[in-house]
Amino acid sequence: MGPTSTGKVLETSRLKTTRSPRVRNDVRMPRVELFEATTAPLATQTYWANGDPGPIVAALASVPELLGPVLGFVGPALGAGAIGIRAKELAILRTSALQGCSYCIQAHTVVALDVGLTQMEARALRGELPLEDGFPLASERALIGWIDGLAGATGTIPDDVWNAARAHWAEHQLIEVCVTVGATMFLNRLATGLELPTATAVLERLTAEGLQ
Amino acid sequence: MTVTSTTTATATATGAVADAVRDGTLPGRVWLYSNYHCNLACSYCLTESSPRSERRQLTAEQMIAVAEQAKELGFNALGITGGEPFLLPWLPEAVLEMVQHLPLVLLNNGTLFAGERLERAAKLAHPDIALQISLDSHRPDINDMARGPDNFAKVIESVPQLIARGVRVRIATTTAGPLEGPHLDPLRALVKSLGVLDEDHIVRPIVRRGRADEFGLGVQAVARDIPSELCITADGAFWGSFGPTVRNGRLDTDLLLTRTILPLAVPADALLSAVGGMPEGADASLGIR
Repeated sequence: MGPTSTGKVLETSRLKTTRSPRVRNDVRMPRVELFEATTAPLATQTYWANGDPGPIVAALASVPELLGPVLGFVGPALGAGAIGIRAKELAILRTSALQGCSYCIQAHTVVALDVGLTQMEARALRGELPLEDGFPLASERALIGWIDGLAGATGTIPDDVWNAARAHWAEHQLIEVCVTVGATMFLNRLATGLELPTATAVLERLTAEGLQ
Repeated sequence: MTVTSTTTATATATGAVADAVRDGTLPGRVWLYSNYHCNLACSYCLTESSPRSERRQLTAEQMIAVAEQAKELGFNALGITGGEPFLLPWLPEAVLEMVQHLPLVLLNNGTLFAGERLERAAKLAHPDIALQISLDSHRPDINDMARGPDNFAKVIESVPQLIARGVRVRIATTTAGPLEGPHLDPLRALVKSLGVLDEDHIVRPIVRRGRADEFGLGVQAVARDIPSELCITADGAFWGSFGPTVRNGRLDTDLLLTRTILPLAVPADALLSAVGGMPEGADASLGIR
């Protein structure tokens, strides 16, 4: 069982990938074609102008009319915004852990470290350590409580979770977290459903950090 | 095709597509790949069509909806190709509904007009419908080398029969050689003897895509060289009728515009956006049409 910011516990299955990805020669194989510069549809080819845009773009290019709008949504939803990049990565990594998306957990563990989160904080968000160990500040635990309410449960979210978060964060910041969590959950299901492969560089970094 | 239908279509439609068609930014014809399977397996086929090809066919309802919406958007003509469209048993009836909206040309291989099928095709005797049949050489051996056994004989037999029933027939010659010159005189004479007007005989190059690319045949063409006609298939909408080609069993996606085909405004807008960012191509000098 994994601890939560509210003192309650989540089922372990909410914090870990529950199914084995398809693996071939130690590399996870996607369920769908990942487009390349030579096969990318006309209107998507600009995304390859600066090199490999990554598997999310390479998969979404199969539906060209969706690629632009999707990136136009998830870009700002996952970007720094008004609440700041630390809080955003906290929301993204926690949500991904709750959703059991190994692709997003791996990718955003690296991003989280890059924006200044510690290994202990990353582990706590991933459910590998008690949250209190990684997040001594009440404000951040309250924020994680709000994130857990959004991404780790169904139905209504108790008033005490909202009120605890509102004690530390402005209304517009918590609205922004709603959008970030929603966009992350979309990417979680996309990456998990299509079994998108994690970049080799990310896996190497995680191994080097002892966070694989 | 009648000028009346074309003029009416572009005159009544409003919007960006209609404007683009009127000012020549966008070609007026919308193509539909009705299906991908074919009773032949031509050596230069853009879509690797054959009897074993996956059908990937549009429904009659989709084709009629494309026709209706194409007119509403301001396009002024339709083209149907495949695969071999006449393998679809409902095709003549669907075409007759489509032509109520826009004039159309129906590409086919001219080999499926025996017996009852001829009489079904005869329903297509309409001033706004033209059947475009492929014939590549005045010599049966050369023609059949690329298009299959007995193709020449079947075409020579069916064309006059269709014309006798009031069906307008065009002949399309696809060649790896020069598009003009005295070497084509015997073929032009043959086509004329079948009852086809000179203006209804077009000669065009092989475009190096699909199976033609595997064999290194035809002219190289990039996107801007291919006429920017909107092309609708079961796999999505493409830039140009040379867009949805197949090689080694895999659909080429480089000219894919959208997976959405209806409402037609979605791919039409995508095409318009793509055309806006594209420099002028060499389609005219390459003779691609």
